[in-house]
Amino acid sequence: MSAASTAALAPASALPVRVPWAGPVLVGFALSAFIATVALFVRTPLSQMPLYFAQRYFVLDATSMLFLLVINSVFLGISVYMSSLARRSPALAPKMKPRTALTLAFMVAMNLGVMANHLLLLWAFIELTTVCAAPLVAQGESLQPRRVAWHYLLYSSMSLALTFLGIMCLTRSAHLQGIGMEFAFDEMAMAVPSSGDGWQRLGLALMLFGLGSKLGLAPLYSWLPETYEAAPTSTSALLAAVQFNISVVAVLRVLQVFRGQDTGFVLHELLVMGCLSLMIAAVQVMAARNYKRLIAYACVSSSGVIAIGLSVGKAAAYGVLLYVVSAAFVKALLFLTAGRVRSVYRTNETKALAGVIRVLPFSGSLFAVGTFALLGFPPFGSFMAEMLILSGIVQVGNLIAFTLMCTMLTIIFVATGRAIFPMIWGEPEQHRPPVREGWLTAVPKLGFVTVLALLGVYTPEPIAQLLSQVARSIGGQ
Amino acid sequence: MKLPLILFLVAAAVPVFFGKIRSAPFWLAVQAVALGWASAAQHGEWSGHALAALVEVLAVRAVIAPRLLRRAIRGRGEPNLDLMPSNLFAWAIAIALLVLAFEFGAPEMSDRPALALGAVGATVAVALLLLAANDSPPAQLVAVLFMENAIALFESLLSEPWPLPVHLALSAIYLLTVGVGAWLIGRPETPVTVTPAARVVEEGGRS
Repeated sequence: MSAASTAALAPASALPVRVPWAGPVLVGFALSAFIATVALFVRTPLSQMPLYFAQRYFVLDATSMLFLLVINSVFLGISVYMSSLARRSPALAPKMKPRTALTLAFMVAMNLGVMANHLLLLWAFIELTTVCAAPLVAQGESLQPRRVAWHYLLYSSMSLALTFLGIMCLTRSAHLQGIGMEFAFDEMAMAVPSSGDGWQRLGLALMLFGLGSKLGLAPLYSWLPETYEAAPTSTSALLAAVQFNISVVAVLRVLQVFRGQDTGFVLHELLVMGCLSLMIAAVQVMAARNYKRLIAYACVSSSGVIAIGLSVGKAAAYGVLLYVVSAAFVKALLFLTAGRVRSVYRTNETKALAGVIRVLPFSGSLFAVGTFALLGFPPFGSFMAEMLILSGIVQVGNLIAFTLMCTMLTIIFVATGRAIFPMIWGEPEQHRPPVREGWLTAVPKLGFVTVLALLGVYTPEPIAQLLSQVARSIGGQ
Repeated sequence: MKLPLILFLVAAAVPVFFGKIRSAPFWLAVQAVALGWASAAQHGEWSGHALAALVEVLAVRAVIAPRLLRRAIRGRGEPNLDLMPSNLFAWAIAIALLVLAFEFGAPEMSDRPALALGAVGATVAVALLLLAANDSPPAQLVAVLFMENAIALFESLLSEPWPLPVHLALSAIYLLTVGVGAWLIGRPETPVTVTPAARVVEEGGRS
């Protein structure tokens, strides 16, 4: 081969191999899962649930149905975003095969985990989603992405080990009372002795502490901002808007099993963790000058609101579920829009993005809409949900929690606005020409906004019934 | 049933006091042998389930996981330091935790569950201490694997062994955790430098 021909071939061989099937496979899987879930929801009346299958290791009940709908809807949007990335980004081509495989494995584990009817299987599926997500986090662009991914894996293993210690204490409690411990949720609910002892309370407290860490609740929250900031934006969206929900399902399952017990101790624990998370989020949001980190701390604050709502119990149960569903769509919308903004500005600093709405009118507007939804403005579902939670707190007479939550949410509102509004509408330091935005990435984000508005203005009757049934399963009205 | 529990406890406690980081894979393999022994003793009679559980424990926890860990430790090329920094304060805390773990398991239970609960509690406690005392990633991975083995030992506390799907799920998790963990920490990290152009295409490109 001549030197000239070698030179001609060299750039061609240096080009990354494109993976044309990756995007369609992701969207195809997401669309199939979404259609299957919707078909299942339409064809299965709530009165026929729960339906057990695979030797009762899995169950389709109101809780699993609600979260299957949420995770598969959100993932459909994320998959379209990832597909557009795969189509346009030659630099991403070498990463696309593992990214697609891991994302699909992550979603399979998520779907199975949400339907798990066995405490240990649910625990294993939560860990499996983490193991699938860690290599995705390691593909991020922070200075040391593997270190961040390792911290994420380590924190997760730690928190799940604490959860397991809780399971151990529950087993010991059952053993001391002469009862064989069952791990299937339906059998567990029947087997749990009505007179809870110290071991049972300790077990419950440890389980909620461990799961709270997976939700990003203080004090074990520090993995969350670090991971969400360092991961690629599609992965941050997967973690915040999809994986978060499997931990919520685990908490709901625990509350469902121990519904008839004296859970006052753990409800106080949830209240303390929730208030602490809100305070930490308020301080950190004030200090944040990086919009991805700001969204991450907003996720900590939303976990705090959920924990406070769950601690209130029956009066706020419906509001908590509405808040969880809204938060999934808000986080997906914000992270996917942040990815688009970052691709143009090449920075996460809010100051450098002044006047983003002039350069990226569509993404800038969506970022503003997402921020309003995040802050609980009407007409979005989060507004309605926060009102329901606050009214629940007032109903149970916990005015300290009410005052603290209102104060912290106000501080977060002001601090977020102070950072984000100049970023969207401010005067830019240097003028840039407007960038044309593709319709493909816009469609899922518009879908998220529509769902958020619908949740606030008009929740379709079947969805409202589903939410009510899940709320009743945790003792709600 | 007592002997495997004692062997497991020795394999969990000794490396914390005397072990170096490169000896950790050996101690993990010893823990796995003890787990396999305890599992065989718990099943009593030989069945397909018992055999599958034993093979799974020995293959995954005694062979594959220690190998992956050894490769990760070598890949980092760090000096062979103590697993837990040796100082009197750390030793005193470790001994106190071991005693507390057995106090946790002791009252109101018969010998075997008390010993098993003590062994599980002691392993989890020393793993947490290891995490608190050593911030090197290989030591952190060793602590995580100690905890995962303690979780597997927890089965010996139950009257019935776990069903096969639960066994398989826990083994898969263990294997994936050590695989992904070893991959993440397996070489010293050099800061990533991303060119602006690469970043543009990475995040979606200009339309």
